[in-house]
Amino acid sequence: MRPAATVRAAWHGLTGRPLQAIIIGLVALASTAASALALGMAVEANAPFDHAFARDRGAQVAITVDTARTTPARLAATTRLPGVTAAAGPFPLTEVSTAITLAGAAGALQQQVVLTGRAAPGGPVDDLALDAGRWATTTGQVVWARTRTSLPVTVGQTITVTSVPGSPRLTVVGVATSVTGTAQAWVAPAEITALHGPGVAEMLYRFASAGTTTAMAADISSIRAALPAGALVGTPQSYLTVKQQAAAQVAPFTPFIVAFGVIALVMSVMIVVNVVSGAVVSGTRRIGVLKSIGFTPSAVVAAYVLQVALPAAVGCAAGAVLGDLLSEPLLSLSASVYGVGVLLMPLWVVVTVPLAMLALTGVAALAPALRAGRMSTVQAIATARAPRAAHGYAAYRLLGGVPAAPRALTIGLAAPFARPARTFLTLAAILFGAIAVTFGVGLGTSVSRAAAELSGSATEPVQISPPAGALTAAQQRAIVAAVNRQPGTLHYTAETDDQLAVPGLADPISVVSYPGPARWTGWTLISGGWYQGARQVDVNTFFLTATGTRVGDTYTLTAGARQETVRIDGEVFDVQGHASDIFMSSAALAALVPGLGADQYDVSLRPGINAQSYANALSARLGPRLDVTTTTGSPVFASVLVLDAVLTVLLIAVAGLGVLNTAVLQIRERAHDLGVFKAIGMTPRQTLAMVVSSAVGIGVIAGLIAIPAGVALHRYLVPVMGHAGGTNVPGTLLSVYSPAELAVLAVAGLLIAAGGALGPAGWVARTRTATALRAE
Amino acid sequence: MSPLVQLEHVTKKYDNLRVDAAAAVDDVSAAVAEGEAVAVMGPSGSGKSTLLNLIAALDRPTGGTVRVADVRVDSLSETGAARFRRRHIGMIFQFFNLLEDMTVADNVLLPAQLGGQSRRRARARATELLDRLQISRYADTYPARLSGGERQRVAIARALVNEPPLLLADEPTGALDTANGEAIGALLLELNAAGQTLILVTHNPDLAQRYAHRVIQIVDGRVADDSPAGLTGARP
Repeated sequence: MRPAATVRAAWHGLTGRPLQAIIIGLVALASTAASALALGMAVEANAPFDHAFARDRGAQVAITVDTARTTPARLAATTRLPGVTAAAGPFPLTEVSTAITLAGAAGALQQQVVLTGRAAPGGPVDDLALDAGRWATTTGQVVWARTRTSLPVTVGQTITVTSVPGSPRLTVVGVATSVTGTAQAWVAPAEITALHGPGVAEMLYRFASAGTTTAMAADISSIRAALPAGALVGTPQSYLTVKQQAAAQVAPFTPFIVAFGVIALVMSVMIVVNVVSGAVVSGTRRIGVLKSIGFTPSAVVAAYVLQVALPAAVGCAAGAVLGDLLSEPLLSLSASVYGVGVLLMPLWVVVTVPLAMLALTGVAALAPALRAGRMSTVQAIATARAPRAAHGYAAYRLLGGVPAAPRALTIGLAAPFARPARTFLTLAAILFGAIAVTFGVGLGTSVSRAAAELSGSATEPVQISPPAGALTAAQQRAIVAAVNRQPGTLHYTAETDDQLAVPGLADPISVVSYPGPARWTGWTLISGGWYQGARQVDVNTFFLTATGTRVGDTYTLTAGARQETVRIDGEVFDVQGHASDIFMSSAALAALVPGLGADQYDVSLRPGINAQSYANALSARLGPRLDVTTTTGSPVFASVLVLDAVLTVLLIAVAGLGVLNTAVLQIRERAHDLGVFKAIGMTPRQTLAMVVSSAVGIGVIAGLIAIPAGVALHRYLVPVMGHAGGTNVPGTLLSVYSPAELAVLAVAGLLIAAGGALGPAGWVARTRTATALRAE
Repeated sequence: MSPLVQLEHVTKKYDNLRVDAAAAVDDVSAAVAEGEAVAVMGPSGSGKSTLLNLIAALDRPTGGTVRVADVRVDSLSETGAARFRRRHIGMIFQFFNLLEDMTVADNVLLPAQLGGQSRRRARARATELLDRLQISRYADTYPARLSGGERQRVAIARALVNEPPLLLADEPTGALDTANGEAIGALLLELNAAGQTLILVTHNPDLAQRYAHRVIQIVDGRVADDSPAGLTGARP
């Protein structure tokens, strides 16, 4: 058999059944897109920092030096130290007070900003990603740094430097990202001189050995030793700290992405097998004809696999492109979480996923094609299309006896029993689609609640703090007076934070304390109750894990020579980058560490008050020496919500295509019967009801199974996600399904089934009876 | 009294886009009175089955009008056509067109159920027909287990379940052996004798002569002849 004849047979088979080819292509497209998106996001969620850090040659160590206490030669010498592979700087720095007007908010925000003088964004270390606009080339221009917590400043805005005589204005000409967050804003070096910078500069380094905390400590020590005493200002910044903070935010979301990816792959397999088996079955007569004119069994198999592989290849390629396109906004959100500029779908994902999906399609096509290839010519022609004998007859009979049920409906409901294997695959596809919907909806609610509870954006959206250190008594009085005068204030409280070293724990514990009850501040309890007295505390899950304690236990806190034994009253939902947190009254903290002043004030607002406008007005009252900031939800939550929605929609589409395929196959196999139905008086509406109900029955069953399955998946995965972030999760994040929601979700399977079957059903309902009767 | 079936200048072309396309039915005018048995005869491809489809509102003519029981069937919507067939038409096909996954009784009951007839009334009518056509012992049997003649009896029972005024039979004995063909012919004759209007499509002149009052000859889509027949039922 000449290959050309096989290819020609495959091509004619393909063009003769355009709808089948389109379905195969679309299933391959949607499945590939969902799988590529899920895998791409999972890969990026695991290592975006490393990717971006390597690509942008991120600074492993950033130090600030007092240029008056060292010389350019000594600084240059540090770049040639053993182990230093690259260095950049010195970049002059200055801290200024600014007034920034944000779009959509009344007034201007007073903020301290550290400006870094840098001639260009590129360089051997910290190659900046210019996200918008251009670089600052002369005075009067500034490039704003985009970080997870930075203000949403855009190109074209102006920033007034209020701490310099004449209040010069800087125009934002660009927005850039530094993978290690080495600056808040960049200006041309001449600007630092113009703003009378105080003589400090930043140096950035990369080292041959920087993978561990120990290696980093050694690297920093070598630089410190190479500089004159007192030249180093502040604490050198290690990239490992930045990386740990970033990873802790995204780690919780990997399990859900993996879950969606697995669901997408399972559904793809189910649907591809269903599509291909159906295509082979419905084409059995043609296979018989091909064999009767001299095609060998292997040539028939090859032609058939090719017939499936061609549209699948187009679909897989298009799916890879679609997955890549869909990943762009999601990866952009992830990039903002990590502060890493631009993230791209890994090339190997874009290449591997479609190839794997194509191979899967080929394998799925092979089994039924081999079966058809082995069939005798006469049998292939004779058995084409007709449902196998005796399947589903009892169902027709039983359902036909249901009183008051319209006959068209009962015929439709009995139809799936004629092809049990196909029905099982269709049911599985709808089931997974409906599980994805149930889980996706629940996850969306959980993530939204977690975002609100962790950020405090709903309960304490405004914070007032000094740029550094604790608030003075005068500042506290000023804050209390200003907050009391400011319209829109609902509650406010002082917050005193500190770090306590605890024997047995490597890292210090963060302490958060309030003078009064902490209930309204938005922290959610996982278990137990809030502290009442001076010897009671609440802690986060990480504390309990790290110390091996449980709610109700006592624990001895140590601060210098002072010790206090406290009882753990409750477990707080608080994720702070895998760190231990403890909540107590200000009085309890004062007993351990006397003389601490409040670090900040937290303010809750009356309903309907714009937080940013409130902050701007308060900032105007308090002046530039106090930072008034607003809490916004973390972009990582927004990223997860978008990804959740996109994957859910894609999986619904895949499930719908699975149903569409089944409906088309069913119609094709029963085309003549449908003609008979119409000839004896079945109206188009009854025909529509019959075809749709053949899928709806499966959809209802799938929906009913999907509800407990989706809820169970949610109940299993949300705690897993929490544990990946180092926390248990409160009941509010698990009990997210209201009875009304469950009732709506129960029809998800039905809607997917009806949606998939409606198109073919409408087509067959409109078909002229004589045409249907002529069908073989 | 107006005829039960009235065809006026009926034309049917399957390729409307081609001006020179041949018409399957070309300017046919004819009438069938109530209680009449008419045979439509002609060679294969002459357009006789197409004509039957147009009368049954299974298809729409390209031109002309088709009236059945004073209903303009050529302008009915698909829904209207389905309802019309339920009330006015019983169809018998050469290859029976029974639904293989339904029992004999279910096949017969189906048109009544689609028409929303009450369960009791439909069952009573189906039982009566199965008895009359001597196939009641096969009520719970699937069509695949029946002989050709038995299947055609089931098809006739199904066609009659809604008591239609017009019975259309497209080559009803074409797939049967001689004995079964004779039996089905006799059955149709009996139904017509009881007042059932019958239009029978066949290419068998003997059948047409014996089982119809009138024979309409169709050649290349046109009426070539319309003349009385014997209606003897007996073999010459």
